Amino acid sequence: MAHVWMKQDAAIQVTGLHKSYGEHEAVRGIDFEVGKGEVFGFLGPNGAGKTTTIEILEGYRERTSGQVSVLGIDPAHPNRRWRTRIGLVLQECELNPLLTVAETMHLYASFFPKARSVDETLDLVGLGDRHRVRVGSLSGGQQRRLDVGVGIIGNPELLFLDEPTTGFDPSARRSAWNMIDGLKELGTTIVLTTHYMEEAQHLADRVMIMREGEIVAEGAPETLGDQLGRETMIRFRTDNGVADRAAAAIDRQAMVSGNQATIASTDAQRDLYRLLEWAEGEGITLPDLEVRRPSLEDVFLEVTSGTQENGR
Amino acid sequence: MSDVGLVLIQARYAILATLRTPRALLFGALFPIIFLLLFNSLFTQGGDQTTTVAGHTIDVHAYFTAGLIAYALALSCFTTPLMTLVAARERGQLKRQRGMPPPAWTFVAAQVLRSVAFALAVGGVMIAIGIIFYGVDLPAQTVPGFIIALALGTATLSALGIAATALAKNEDSAQPIGAFTVVMLSFVSGIFIALDTLPNFLQEVGRLFPLYHLAQGLQSTVAMNPSGIGLSGGDAAALVIWGLGGIWIATRRFKWEPQGRATE
Repeated sequence: MAHVWMKQDAAIQVTGLHKSYGEHEAVRGIDFEVGKGEVFGFLGPNGAGKTTTIEILEGYRERTSGQVSVLGIDPAHPNRRWRTRIGLVLQECELNPLLTVAETMHLYASFFPKARSVDETLDLVGLGDRHRVRVGSLSGGQQRRLDVGVGIIGNPELLFLDEPTTGFDPSARRSAWNMIDGLKELGTTIVLTTHYMEEAQHLADRVMIMREGEIVAEGAPETLGDQLGRETMIRFRTDNGVADRAAAAIDRQAMVSGNQATIASTDAQRDLYRLLEWAEGEGITLPDLEVRRPSLEDVFLEVTSGTQENGR
Repeated sequence: MSDVGLVLIQARYAILATLRTPRALLFGALFPIIFLLLFNSLFTQGGDQTTTVAGHTIDVHAYFTAGLIAYALALSCFTTPLMTLVAARERGQLKRQRGMPPPAWTFVAAQVLRSVAFALAVGGVMIAIGIIFYGVDLPAQTVPGFIIALALGTATLSALGIAATALAKNEDSAQPIGAFTVVMLSFVSGIFIALDTLPNFLQEVGRLFPLYHLAQGLQSTVAMNPSGIGLSGGDAAALVIWGLGGIWIATRRFKWEPQGRATE
């Protein structure tokens, strides 16, 4: 569902944010808010300005202009107390390979006044049986999980997760999702960037898609397609040229690609009813019939490819 | 946790990590001690030999022992931190550290503390070997000079090691900067070769760098007839100037973010 956040509920507020590197304008005046307790999916192709924006929010980069507030503080002037309220999982970070898992966690736990217990955190990220293993001996996926563990050891109010599951196998990704769902239930606000649309769809309350430094779509993942006025797709296999007859019977256009026919529909229930009635009457079967709402991935590909008329 | 506590816990884990780095132990601890044993057996055959340091006569055993302690300090305080910090920077560890609550200085202080701990351990073992096996004489009169030279040496070399990370784009360039400079300078600083056997111009080259003054400062404290506390004001001043220069560069040029890889 799309949420409307009151000002005082905002964990992050951004207004008119610009960032230029010399001639190159990486972020071109964006506005957005992230509500407290929200899981906010931040999407966009490489080079869209995502990492720049995130690093400004994290206090790593200075902005060219605009207003930014993160937990009520301007991240261009981070202070120590603010840092204790924020958890970071950076895109490219390896921990010291020579320390053990438990040593790493104890070290970073000592940095935070309200740290979680090391045992609890390691259980949470699924490394409960790896305490004495050297970080360098962990698999890539396990190192990433430890990285997430370090990000949440301080019990942060706001957690930045930059591509947390890149390189995970499907089951590891599922358990990472469960963990993130768990953090959300504890009230943690999460800013998530990912290249996996399925991940954003599963985890995020709201997503924002950037392209070339601008926001091109924003909303709840399940309603983003509707907001952009995208149609439901009715698809079936067309073996002997029934696509056009079928489409004509319901007053729509069919697009045929190979032996797959796609009919775009703004009223899926009515169109589907009429299509099936027609097929029944004609004694035709429609193999592999499927009805698909535009997925987040469809929306993403559309708004980031720049060919918004595609498929119409 | 207090800031001092933060320094100590970070130093503890830094020491632990170094103890688990065979390269650091081999180069930083074992090499200087082996060199000490080798030099004292190879180059000093034939009974009592002496050379001169800063106008004082010194037994060659004492000369090489004190010089090689300077070499060990350079490895522990300059080479090892340079390589460790660049590696940590390039793997993104420093960037992450920067995003955490502890002030940056606690991290840097912990690194220096680690270097000092290793330098004192290795230096202590070496002077003990010198005194016990090679008859090196460290009189009470020059003990303060010896300690001041150690302290100035570790501080200066640590500052320079941290400053030198700015020159290294990645681990591959940190290695030659860290190891090569120390070995080269050791030849012209009266560590591997007695200074009075070097051509004049090489002595002058050595004199420009801090390792020369650290070696000479330590050697002066174990000379046969030292003056005052042994360490001369000139050597101490040279170390201080290099140290301040190191701090000046380190505070301006030290990088927390990976340099070798392109970032978006």
